[in-house]
Amino acid sequence: MSEDKGKISRRNFFKGAAMGVLGGTALGMGLFSYSPWRKSYFPDVKRKLADIGACKSIKVTNISETSWFDNAVLMGDIKGAGGLLVNQYSYNWPPFGDGSGLGKGSYEKGIAKIKHLLPNNLEEAWAITEKLSVSPQNAGGFAALIEIEEMDGRKRKFLLDSGWSYKWMDESFKREGIDQMLKNKEIEALFISHEHFDHYWGVPVTYKYDPTITTYIPDGFYPEGLQYLQDAGHKGKVIKIKPGLNPMIPGLATFVFAVPIICRVYGEQAIYANVKDLGLVSITGCCHFGIIQFSETAFREIKYEKDNLYGIYGGLHISPFEDWDPKYDDLVLSLGKYGFQKIGCNHCTGLMCAKKFVEAGYPVVKGTARHRTKETNYLGNGDKIGYGIEV
Amino acid sequence: MERYGTGYLEERKLVKRWPQPIPAIVALVLTLAVFYATWWIFQDPRGWMRMYTPYVGYMYTRWWLIMLIWMVYIFNYWPFKRKWLEDTHPVVKGAVLTVISVVILWVLIKGFFESLLGNYGIAYFNPGNLLKLPGMTEFFALEYASLACLMFAAIASWLSPAWVVACEEVPWQNLNQPGKGISILVATFFLSTLIFFMTMHSHMGILYYPWQYFTSIAPPYWEKFANTVSGNFHVSWIMCCTVTVWIVETIWERFPFKLIRTNWLRRVVAFFGIIAIAWAMHLFLYFAQELTWGPAIRGTRLINAPDWRWLHVGEMAVFFLVPALFITFYCGNWPKRFSLPVNVLVRTLITISAAILLYIFYYKTSHDYLGTQKGFMHEQQFPMIPTIWLINIWLVHHWFMDNWPGWKMVPKTAEEIAADHAAEKAKLAEVRWDPALGWGLGAGAVCGVAIYFITLSVLPWVYQNITVIK
Repeated sequence: MSEDKGKISRRNFFKGAAMGVLGGTALGMGLFSYSPWRKSYFPDVKRKLADIGACKSIKVTNISETSWFDNAVLMGDIKGAGGLLVNQYSYNWPPFGDGSGLGKGSYEKGIAKIKHLLPNNLEEAWAITEKLSVSPQNAGGFAALIEIEEMDGRKRKFLLDSGWSYKWMDESFKREGIDQMLKNKEIEALFISHEHFDHYWGVPVTYKYDPTITTYIPDGFYPEGLQYLQDAGHKGKVIKIKPGLNPMIPGLATFVFAVPIICRVYGEQAIYANVKDLGLVSITGCCHFGIIQFSETAFREIKYEKDNLYGIYGGLHISPFEDWDPKYDDLVLSLGKYGFQKIGCNHCTGLMCAKKFVEAGYPVVKGTARHRTKETNYLGNGDKIGYGIEV
Repeated sequence: MERYGTGYLEERKLVKRWPQPIPAIVALVLTLAVFYATWWIFQDPRGWMRMYTPYVGYMYTRWWLIMLIWMVYIFNYWPFKRKWLEDTHPVVKGAVLTVISVVILWVLIKGFFESLLGNYGIAYFNPGNLLKLPGMTEFFALEYASLACLMFAAIASWLSPAWVVACEEVPWQNLNQPGKGISILVATFFLSTLIFFMTMHSHMGILYYPWQYFTSIAPPYWEKFANTVSGNFHVSWIMCCTVTVWIVETIWERFPFKLIRTNWLRRVVAFFGIIAIAWAMHLFLYFAQELTWGPAIRGTRLINAPDWRWLHVGEMAVFFLVPALFITFYCGNWPKRFSLPVNVLVRTLITISAAILLYIFYYKTSHDYLGTQKGFMHEQQFPMIPTIWLINIWLVHHWFMDNWPGWKMVPKTAEEIAADHAAEKAKLAEVRWDPALGWGLGAGAVCGVAIYFITLSVLPWVYQNITVIK
């Protein structure tokens, strides 16, 4: 009898224990997880303070920031092809148009039509692709010239991205004298920020003038993108940069983020420049990882002048398609805390976002709205910005 | 009097055609095949209709889930007669009921949201009206409208089943169909509308420039607490509510709420208890992300952004729902050999373990077969779409097709139904107050708290030592 009682009690004890475990765990989850005490679990931020050196000044020339000319046309194509996760090589956009229509293309079929003309006969290649592609007139591109002055006064030049349309980018290169700089080998290297159509597909335009230029790409290119480097007529060194910090020359480093990006692209590379007596300047192609993430990464990873975040140039990927989301307001509201003193934004920042920056009182450097740039809140095509140097 | 499908799920006996685990494996293989085929046809960005834009596909996935819940839980299969449900071949039944669910879905989206609400109430439900905004593209007009609809769906997918599971259909439980269904539908839809305005409307209001101060609260009231102005904060806890409702209904067999004998008290405690458990999950899963990826930084994008972290809480929660439903639908709610609380605990532990494995498996492999990209975070990627799509297929298979072909549906006899009721009563009677139960409860609660804190210590180590994405 007493044994029976013991058995019953044990069973009841386990019943209670099972309920208690579930209840106790839920209680802990509910009461502690979002309380201020939880912060004791966060490790202290250990700054690596990597020394990338310093430069005297840096100047950026906006060769082109207008990646596409009509947002409605671009978004119409994206909608028709199936949305923002569709592989960019299947859109049938130039230069990979094969005549089969929107969303039905491929790199292989597209490049076969023009490969024999790259990189020297871009006019004919573009004329062919214009007939076979979807919305060829809408293609523009993003590219910038970065001129850095070292502490001893030596000046060095780098190209960030090579745009999209062969026609538009060739015109833009000529307008800013990039063609001659490339021919004269004044530009040391081409940094490709990421594989997106508007930053990368115009790469034959760079190779037309300097096919041997060293090209830095972020890790994560898809096979089509890697093949395009060869098909575009490149004869120089290709350096694939792994995620993390990559010092280039004193005062200049790139940082690669392993991030998935719309239109089936992976990984992006951006630039840090440490300007003597001023602070850190961030130069980005699209900044899919976000400008605040880029700044926080700088804080953790590198040492920079006066521990000061000084300037920004480039696309900040906030509302590239003039769309909006409350999380973009989080960025607009937070950016002020970082204390940037000179912001040159354009491209995928979004005109509405630039407007909100200006309204928030941020030091946005106004542009001239020339060469098809739409508003002065953007640092537009042909505009220049200097950090540590007047332009 | 015709009962339609009232009590059909409880009063059907699913007889296995083969010994386990064969029926479960057959069901899994079959439903995964249907999942992949339909994914390719409707959703996949490489496939045919490419609805994964993402919001269009997401909206239809969420609302289809609710259509299934409405048809089965709220309308009890009305207007289909009981005899038809019992005698029709599962494949025919599945096809007919699925087609009807899709038709209702289409009417709801196009008729109610887009045409009625979007034309006579709130412009953002109608892409055509949104297009009138300067600079608005057709793509984003459709995406914004779909976003509004799917935010509504998130709320409805919690409240619709909650009214049945927690509130036990009161006060309409004795009404015949379709009166009961219509009453519950109107009540839950009304509540959903109310909660939509209090949680999601401000999100929609600040989508436009300038912020719509005069039609929505901007900045929203949750900004400081949630560290974001995004409505994803609410998506998070509401998704946790949805998941908790179904966990309570399936692997928990409505435990512990069904231990309360006073009807009104049981219903009230169940409704708010589900919300309390969901909030515990909501806050913990956010903290778990802080422990693995570091504290969120407001204004960042991607993995460190608070808005995405909240959204990811909801996404993580759905990973728990998948194994919970599988255990109930295809494993007969195993185990059943212990007392009710111990069974519930064991099933919960299995569900948590399976959900973690599924989460790792998903992020390791989904980009290879779903047309998505690798990475935990992508601006346009929502794991809730494939997981809920699979759940929808399981609901069709379990509710409309009686788990065919692994199981055969046989209506229970009156004696079997009476025996079920008696067993249920005995099960509840077994869990009654006793000093041993009290000691167990206390010791268990201490262990539960200890488990929680041990988990907190282990999580960063786990993240450091398991590479999910190379």
